[in-house]
Amino acid sequence: MTVTAPAPPRPRSGQPPRPRKRYLRPEALLGLGFVLPVFLLFLVFRFGPAIVGVLLSFFEYTLGDSPRFTGFDNFVRMFDDPLFWQALKVTVIFTVLYLPLSIATSLGLALLVRRSFRGSKLFRSVFFLPVITSLVLAATIFTWLFSSSGPLGKLIGDSWLASTTLVIPALVIVSVWSRFGYGMLIILARLQDVPRELEEAALVDGAGPWARFRHVVLPQLRPALFFLAVIETTTSFQVFDLVYVMTGGGPARSSYTLVMALYDQGFQYFDLGYASALGVALFVLTLFVALIQRVLMGRSK
Amino acid sequence: MKLRAIAAAVVAALAATTSACGSAEDTPQDVTMWVYPVVPDEAQHRAFWDEQIEAFTKDHANIDVKVEIYPWAKREESLTTAIAGNKAPDLVYLIPDQIPKFAKLVQPVDQYLPDEVKGDYRDNVRESVTMDGKLMGAPILMGANPLMCNKKVLDAAGVSAPATWDDLLEIAPTLKAKGFDVTNYYADPSATLNQSFYPLLWEAGGDVFDEDGGKVAFDGDAGVRALTFLKTLVDEGYTEKELITGIPAFEQTRLAQGKVACTWQQLPADVESFWGADAITIHPPLKDEEQVGYGSIGALSMMKQSGAKDAAGEWLAFVSSPEVTKAYDLAGNYFSPYQSTGALYTDGPQAEVEKTLDQMVGAPLHDKARDVMGLLAPEIQAALIGQKSPEQALADAAEAANGLIGQ
Repeated sequence: MTVTAPAPPRPRSGQPPRPRKRYLRPEALLGLGFVLPVFLLFLVFRFGPAIVGVLLSFFEYTLGDSPRFTGFDNFVRMFDDPLFWQALKVTVIFTVLYLPLSIATSLGLALLVRRSFRGSKLFRSVFFLPVITSLVLAATIFTWLFSSSGPLGKLIGDSWLASTTLVIPALVIVSVWSRFGYGMLIILARLQDVPRELEEAALVDGAGPWARFRHVVLPQLRPALFFLAVIETTTSFQVFDLVYVMTGGGPARSSYTLVMALYDQGFQYFDLGYASALGVALFVLTLFVALIQRVLMGRSK
Repeated sequence: MKLRAIAAAVVAALAATTSACGSAEDTPQDVTMWVYPVVPDEAQHRAFWDEQIEAFTKDHANIDVKVEIYPWAKREESLTTAIAGNKAPDLVYLIPDQIPKFAKLVQPVDQYLPDEVKGDYRDNVRESVTMDGKLMGAPILMGANPLMCNKKVLDAAGVSAPATWDDLLEIAPTLKAKGFDVTNYYADPSATLNQSFYPLLWEAGGDVFDEDGGKVAFDGDAGVRALTFLKTLVDEGYTEKELITGIPAFEQTRLAQGKVACTWQQLPADVESFWGADAITIHPPLKDEEQVGYGSIGALSMMKQSGAKDAAGEWLAFVSSPEVTKAYDLAGNYFSPYQSTGALYTDGPQAEVEKTLDQMVGAPLHDKARDVMGLLAPEIQAALIGQKSPEQALADAAEAANGLIGQ
């Protein structure tokens, strides 16, 4: 008796062999298993509330009442609300000042500590320290620094936070101080990937430091800078804690940002429908700016 | 036979059910109450409530009371979150400033309190917790902000404590020349106006809302007079400038440092460790057209969500009784909301504060009170930093506030 091994299944005539689906592979399933808990948590605690927030913006809802569908009333009210426009203006001014300053500081410091030298690791660590420092703590200390009795206040002879003109620059300075370490790290990581040969070739061709930076290094940093621009824009549109601790939105609402307005409507006045509408406006604004940045900066991969 | 046995079992089951329904009072019920560190020493506070629970349970064995002590900080956020999550307590400590905000979530408590107790509240206490003729909480304590002065400062400048706005303006230059401020004023928008601007508004004869609450009234002559008075104090350098735009740590303020003569925004307990008990002198609220100060009332409110309202009502009647509140008020260094309790303190600053209780007014009980405060505070600040005139600032705030009330 001859035992023949079973022949492998043949593909039907004219059909290419069907590849085994990737998601069926055990390692793929295992990977999915690891990701699934986080994905579910994301759905439940981030994505779900965001969707509910969008839906809530079409309702009039305060705690203790049933939600009442009001269509676009909250958005109409928002466009008629001078406080919204004031908060939007403050938020945009803050972002316009913060974004270039933050990225320029991150870039400058990343270039300074790019090469290894004695103590370079120490500098990198020190520059990153503000990122892990409690923002509320930092805000409290900066409040004193900017006060009329603090060193920065003495520079101008008055409190920065009492001035409707200087309060936003003061907040921008603290924000940049607290965030530049993160940007520096992102740029530094990208700088390590820039081939040294490129710069050396440019050097041989007679390019000076600025030309080497402008034509060799900077184009290589485009993805990192785009990433930072998007992240920092989002962060600056959401500025809240600093303002809450340092100025409470004052003086005379000159630092009253969109998220402060959202907080007041939602948690001070319980007007949750209107607060959600403000949240939707903030989301749309952030998305819009990110898309513009994508067009301007992110053309190449 | 089998059928008969089934019928007997059904009858027995029905009888058991009926019997259970008939003795609802004996059914164990849980009551949860949230309070805050009214008594600063946590162990002492805990012991107080344990003692009250034990006393209450002797007559109400079926009611299991749990008192939870939460920190003052972020208490509204905690309560809001609990309400949204359907985990609200049955009873919660609220002050009149919070009552309009939570008005739709708490229910009147009149039915749970004996008439003789309700009739014993001080008039201003009753008014402070009454909305639409209903008690929105059972008052358990009262606080008062009369005028408090630092004797050392007054003596050093050789001036007397002011009784009126004019007196205050008169002694201010002398105090300034000696390096002192005549008073302090917090204009940061996150500071409540109940303790800062509203007392001046009331003293000038004005009010926050009109009679029927349909419009704001702070933009009238009294409001302008109050804000102009305040602006004079700021412009002339009679108050600490930093407080106009921020709230520094208390120990960093000139008040704590013993450089301010008088204040209506702090209490003896706030300054005693800085000034020393001997330096604290208490005076009636400043007088202009009226002589009024801000008084806070602590009340226990019942949540509409409560699933054990009758049991919660029994506990409420017990803990808000004159006897229990007297012990609580003494432990927390507060005052009694009842007329019949009489004086709790015989000497020291508290005894002087106690004499002014009837001159106190609570926070405005209007459902948009907080929203209006949010609109008015930045405008007051704008006037004080010179961005707007007092008339313009109040008119702008009134326009925005009336629009809000009309929505």
